[in-house]
Amino acid sequence: MTDQELERRLAQALDHTAPDDCEGVLSRCEARKGTVIPMTNKQTKNRWRPLIAACLALALVGGGGGLFYQQSYAVASVVSLDVNPSIELKVNQKEKVLACTPLNQEAREALTDMGGGADLEGTKLDVAVNAIVGALVRRGYLDSISSAILISVEDKNEARAAKLRQELTAAVDSVLQEQSNNASVLSQTLTQDAALEAQARENNISTGKAYLVRQVMEMNGTIAANSTTAQERLSALSVEELSDLLETGETRIPIGKSAAAQAAEQYAGTLSVDSVTVEVDPELDEVPAYYEVELHHPTLGEFEYRVDAFNGAVLSGRADILSGGKTQTGTQTQSGNQPQTGNQSAMVGEAKAKTAALAHAGVSESAVKYCNVWLEYDDGRPECYEVEFEVNGVRYKYEIGLYDATVQKSEVERKASTASGEDIGQEKAKAAALSHAGLTESQVTKWKVERDEDHGRLEYEVEFKSGGVEYEYTIDGATGVVLEHESERED
Amino acid sequence: MLILLGIQTMEHGGGEDRRELEEMLSGVAAGDREALAQLYRRTRTAVYGLALSYLKNPHDAQDVTQDAFVRVWECAPQYRPKGSPMAWMLTIARNLALMKLRQRGRQGSLEQEEWAAIPAEEASVSPEDRQVLQTALAALGDQERQVVLLHAVSGLKHREIAAVLELPLATVLSKYHRALKKLRVQLEGDDAR
Repeated sequence: MTDQELERRLAQALDHTAPDDCEGVLSRCEARKGTVIPMTNKQTKNRWRPLIAACLALALVGGGGGLFYQQSYAVASVVSLDVNPSIELKVNQKEKVLACTPLNQEAREALTDMGGGADLEGTKLDVAVNAIVGALVRRGYLDSISSAILISVEDKNEARAAKLRQELTAAVDSVLQEQSNNASVLSQTLTQDAALEAQARENNISTGKAYLVRQVMEMNGTIAANSTTAQERLSALSVEELSDLLETGETRIPIGKSAAAQAAEQYAGTLSVDSVTVEVDPELDEVPAYYEVELHHPTLGEFEYRVDAFNGAVLSGRADILSGGKTQTGTQTQSGNQPQTGNQSAMVGEAKAKTAALAHAGVSESAVKYCNVWLEYDDGRPECYEVEFEVNGVRYKYEIGLYDATVQKSEVERKASTASGEDIGQEKAKAAALSHAGLTESQVTKWKVERDEDHGRLEYEVEFKSGGVEYEYTIDGATGVVLEHESERED
Repeated sequence: MLILLGIQTMEHGGGEDRRELEEMLSGVAAGDREALAQLYRRTRTAVYGLALSYLKNPHDAQDVTQDAFVRVWECAPQYRPKGSPMAWMLTIARNLALMKLRQRGRQGSLEQEEWAAIPAEEASVSPEDRQVLQTALAALGDQERQVVLLHAVSGLKHREIAAVLELPLATVLSKYHRALKKLRVQLEGDDAR
């Protein structure tokens, strides 16, 4: 056997055994699209490097005579992790942690189990990062699907910075995945910049986050021009909020999570109650942008509020929960068997809404990949239950009636369709709609079939009438799946 | 130098491939999912080969393969078309594989090397495939296996393999020859010596 023959056999064997799950990759990519924001800062400045190294060596040696001590104490890279806690790690060439510094109060709290960061000194960087991310997850900083962690690597050696950044991004990502956590990982590399460092120190954040703040400010001059405190207020925001601002191009500064929590608590009348815990989730990419605040009362249950992201007005939620007060603008998510009050009593509840949607789709709960149910509001009033779930790469979205659990609207969407270029043709699209309606062609009149590529994929709009009812369908042009349907009795 | 020349003439994967991969990658960078699907179909074997050569466990290698393409999707905007796109992707896969190995080390989940290399239920896998892969996994040293699998499936040149694996070129060359020789002995018996 020649070398080429051997290699050919190896290649063939690998080809036959390699996974062929393009769908699997694509489904994950959709969810993760844009989660890593490449940011680079090309400004170079090296004057600080020896100074910092010297100071650090001095500090480590105990303020004493070993100023020229040990190459291994020289800081090669500065890595920072920001969620809202900001933590900075100084690392030598061998990726060993020389110093771990919590930069704000939240970071100090997160690191209490690790001697305020001191315990991580001397460990390998990946071990330290693992430990820190684990602590952040445990403390709930990365719980929501929209939360984000920013990894910044500062190094005068760009190649080393890029490599470290890639490794850390992968490491953090894998910790998050192990914990089934869907928070986004953002990363960037920076070279040193004295102005940025000063800005960071002033606001008790890392230079990495300071760079993010700077980008938000530069994105649109309005923020910088409108307020002298802009930098300070932006620095207080979480990475998630900042990256949302960057993404949406928003020029106003949101009030921040704690102000939103306070607004909701004030409205709920629980400011003086210690036992109420609060969770805040910024939804700055929504229009209008708001903070979702959940108040957990040990006996009364959970209450959900929406707070305007810029003026702090409570958009929805129940006032004065302690006095069992007004319910006109709000709702209560029941926990346990709490007695229901007010007009809530007639609502069917999330469980029934879910059952109704699954039954309509003909899907059993055990088959769905995920299922989310929530109350949808309009003008501060509950409008319907929204139920979303996914089965075999097909996403279903339902609107279910509040009081009778009827299906008001349903949408079906194929995820990650790779079958581009395929076209089932008008006849098959028609047949798919008819079959869904349970009719035959002879029973229907006033056909209308339109081919539509407006949404970046091929769809057929099919309309017809039968027995005094107008039917309207949207059919996936590649697969024949019914994407949307409506039927209405003629007046 | 003579040896080098001799080897390079055998290498496949010319400029054409590179250009096509570059195009797919720039499509991926622009968010084109179809480009990612193409890239996946084109390079999954190489990425899997690399992962398997490090992990020696098909399940872990499959996981890493999928993770690698997700990472490619995320990082494609940062790719700069000055090197080899294949080498760039394989470097991503290698980092993920190394991480997996470190995790394994910490968890101690795989004390023994697992040679159930190929899922038994795979219909497309012939007995020959099974034999050649199991031999490659069982008979070769780590570096030998990495070099030879990568060379067989990636179309990379030896110096590019050296860069991806972070090994000196001379090591790559000697491991490559030794690996092929060992494989031949294992597959054909002692006559091949």
